[in-house]
Amino acid sequence: MAETGFLPKEKLPALLDALSKKFQVFAPVFEGDVVLFKRFASGVELCLTRPANLPPKGIIFPQSETLFNVNFKKDPEDLKKTSVELKENLDFAPTIIFGGRPCDAQGFRIYDRVYLETDIADPYYKGRREKTTIVTLACNAPSPGCFCTSVGRGPAENEGSDLMMTELEKGYFFEPITEKGKEILKEGGFEDGSAYKEQAQKAHEKVSALVKKPFATLEGTPEKLLSLFDNNQFWEGETAKCISCGACTYLCPTCYCFNITDEQAGNTGERIRSWDACMFSHFTLEASSHNPRQNKHQRLKNRVGHKFSYYPKKYKGVIACCGCGRCIRYCPVSVDISEIVAHAQGA
Amino acid sequence: MNSINNPYLPELATVIKIIDETHNIKSFQVVLNDPEKMKKFTFEPGQAGQLSLFGVGESTFVINSPPTRMEYLQFSVMKAGEVTSALHELAEGDQVGVRAPLGNWFPYEQMKGKKILFIGGGIGLAPLRTLILFMLDNRADYDDITIIYGARTPNDLCYKDELKEWEARSDLNLILTVDAEFPEWDKRVGLVPNVLKEIAPAPENTVAITCGPPIMIKFTLQALSALKFNDDQIITTLEKRMKCGIGICGRCNIGAMYVCKDGPVFSLTQLKELPAEL
Amino acid sequence: MTVEKLKEAVRKILPEVDVVIGYRQGFDPLHATPFFMTKPEQVDQLIWNPLCVQNLCSYLPFLKGKVGVIVKGCDSRAIVQYMQEKLIARENVKVIGVPCLRVISVKKVMAAINQQSVQEVTFEGENILVKTPEGQKTIPLADVAPRKCATCQLATPLQYDLLAGDAIQSNKPQDTFEETKEFEKLPLKERRAYWEKEFDRCIRCYACRNVCPMCICQDKCIAESRDPHWTSQRANVTEKSMFHMIHGLHLAGRCISCEECERVCPMDIPVAKIKKKISMDLKELFNYEAGMNPDDTPPLYTFKIEEATIKEHEL
Repeated sequence: MAETGFLPKEKLPALLDALSKKFQVFAPVFEGDVVLFKRFASGVELCLTRPANLPPKGIIFPQSETLFNVNFKKDPEDLKKTSVELKENLDFAPTIIFGGRPCDAQGFRIYDRVYLETDIADPYYKGRREKTTIVTLACNAPSPGCFCTSVGRGPAENEGSDLMMTELEKGYFFEPITEKGKEILKEGGFEDGSAYKEQAQKAHEKVSALVKKPFATLEGTPEKLLSLFDNNQFWEGETAKCISCGACTYLCPTCYCFNITDEQAGNTGERIRSWDACMFSHFTLEASSHNPRQNKHQRLKNRVGHKFSYYPKKYKGVIACCGCGRCIRYCPVSVDISEIVAHAQGA
Repeated sequence: MNSINNPYLPELATVIKIIDETHNIKSFQVVLNDPEKMKKFTFEPGQAGQLSLFGVGESTFVINSPPTRMEYLQFSVMKAGEVTSALHELAEGDQVGVRAPLGNWFPYEQMKGKKILFIGGGIGLAPLRTLILFMLDNRADYDDITIIYGARTPNDLCYKDELKEWEARSDLNLILTVDAEFPEWDKRVGLVPNVLKEIAPAPENTVAITCGPPIMIKFTLQALSALKFNDDQIITTLEKRMKCGIGICGRCNIGAMYVCKDGPVFSLTQLKELPAEL
Repeated sequence: MTVEKLKEAVRKILPEVDVVIGYRQGFDPLHATPFFMTKPEQVDQLIWNPLCVQNLCSYLPFLKGKVGVIVKGCDSRAIVQYMQEKLIARENVKVIGVPCLRVISVKKVMAAINQQSVQEVTFEGENILVKTPEGQKTIPLADVAPRKCATCQLATPLQYDLLAGDAIQSNKPQDTFEETKEFEKLPLKERRAYWEKEFDRCIRCYACRNVCPMCICQDKCIAESRDPHWTSQRANVTEKSMFHMIHGLHLAGRCISCEECERVCPMDIPVAKIKKKISMDLKELFNYEAGMNPDDTPPLYTFKIEEATIKEHEL
């Protein structure tokens, strides 16, 4: 039985200050009405009352990063000859993601299977992931559009987090999930948490019951979606209002597609990895100008298919959607992925 | 500092020879700069590589020299977009990057003792060439080899010198065709799938391997099925826009399969299990 | 104007077109969502209230066949601008105009209710009543309307084939670009710092670009193209600012001030401010407002060696 901790509310800033001395601490802060993960600094106003607009995925999977730098050197004896030198940067600092939600932490588990459990692990992702401790705040209320309990997750789901914190009346209950989580509890300020464990559990159950359920089960859904692949009428109907931007993809904790592009200026260059979205029309555009997903209904079908059919097929039924609801909340036209899946089930 | 554990970091290589195949196709023979790595480099026929032009980008090409001839790695490039246009500006001695081998390969072990039927169109001969040369270098392992190869015009035929060599060989049957009549062309005329139907090879103990433009593949697969070839006797190699080449970036998928990693070689049996999204 | 009158209008037009685009209830009581109707029984789900914020005209340049569309006053300027730029065949579009005095800004309502989940929404007179777990709140519509509604002169749409309801007048003051002029008084350094802070949040999701009714080259956007190559994929404020500058300038003389761009930004960047500044400049230089008269020609579509209002040799 792992040790648990309790931290009175007024001691939270001091804890974060202490952790900031050893780690890069990222926490959700207000910027106007927007909540973003930013580097924690003393005195900054934290937001622990609602999930951040943008999930913390950019801390382990940055929106853009340099895979390697390129140096071009002209041969002084023969100016037509240029040699090339590549330099990769795989130095990463110890990091804490503090105050994300269980759905945010889930995203990293979705990434892990793809980026780590493969022939050669992605060294950039692996480097950051190994050095990051995820301290998650259990939800005390659902957010508009969210549906985590319908995709096999929950508002206090452990998977993906190192340390789970639950807000109670006078403070926070901390439960370590991994060794990394236990390390955090060694910091000063924590009281014994065992007296609060039951309270926390009751709080979790209460919120779980409040989460909306757009569908009763996802059993058989991966196969059902595949069977609808050639049903253009269904997909055109579901996707008519989509405007093919990338908001849903970029705000999604489980979306991980990327682009690789080169830049060069004079004698230096770099190869950049950056976020990409299968919703963009040019995502699958080939140089011959053939595009397997020319139409937006094909693209949205791929997004839904990937999360609810292809990923589960590859990874023992795990649904690649954490139910956070951001895509629904922030979609300019309120495309609702849970509604599409429910319609597919009944089609 | 090259890290063998970084699949995104290319090996530096030098272009040692450039061959003009057609007006818009060039073949590049490259050698890895590190002689130890070049010596240790292995791959299977059908696997691909990402060829980098630093500062411009990377593109995927099948390694179309066979593993039985390792003096260099050859990539045939059709000029189509940003990277390929820049590649066509290269000169011998220029530096490129190579990330290889990627993907799966032709299941040549299962083809031993069988008759082999190659059906190629245009630059589609590039991946087939790897296997053809590999098989010619291991000739005794395979029964009759037939190659049906066509292009739009006589000028669009790739590997013209090699085609002449193959025509002269008695241990393989080469059938060339172009889409329409041309003054200096005295051989067959007809679209590749139609020529296939005319020749009507028997399916018994035969494996058919095809590659070419999507429309040619579509009609060739139909023709092979009409000739009573079973789905598992038909192999093709696919193309998609790719970036990482290692099944992570999420771009080249057909359903749950990644063309870069689970392909590019697929049997028709496997293709039929996937959503129709070529 | 009741929703029943609107349903009647849609039912009337439906047999003449392939689809009618309207609104139905969205994922929660505070959201409407675009609704593509092809069958009469679907019309029952049609709604009309201040939640109907989306500019449905954005779909028109990409749709084939005959299309019916419900438009408010601000939306109707898109139809007019499309006519000026020949981006739609007007005879293939059946416009159902709806009189409108204001819509709500979801972001403003959410701020007013402390970001709580919304359980119920009703409209009573000039108020919106929102029920959340914390209780019921009555908010004057004028307090949570988007910026554009305060100075809207188009209570009745400019273009319509059918008007669902009676034409009404707007009694609102004209837009004098007060906010823009105040901002311009700030020193350059401060303005730059302001925008760098705002753009830093940008995630280049292109929601603002794709929702814009006038952005029709989305698939070939110069902000993403490699040939010509104006921006890289680097996620820094320089690249993000470049995208927003390009977007604003490409809309000069074309932006119809529907402010959809600002509504959809998931990072709450006030992108419409840039377009307002450019619209203000266009009005000063050319006395031109986009999307008002189908016979107008956008000033940047014309070329004069000497422009009356631009004293080049004095610049």
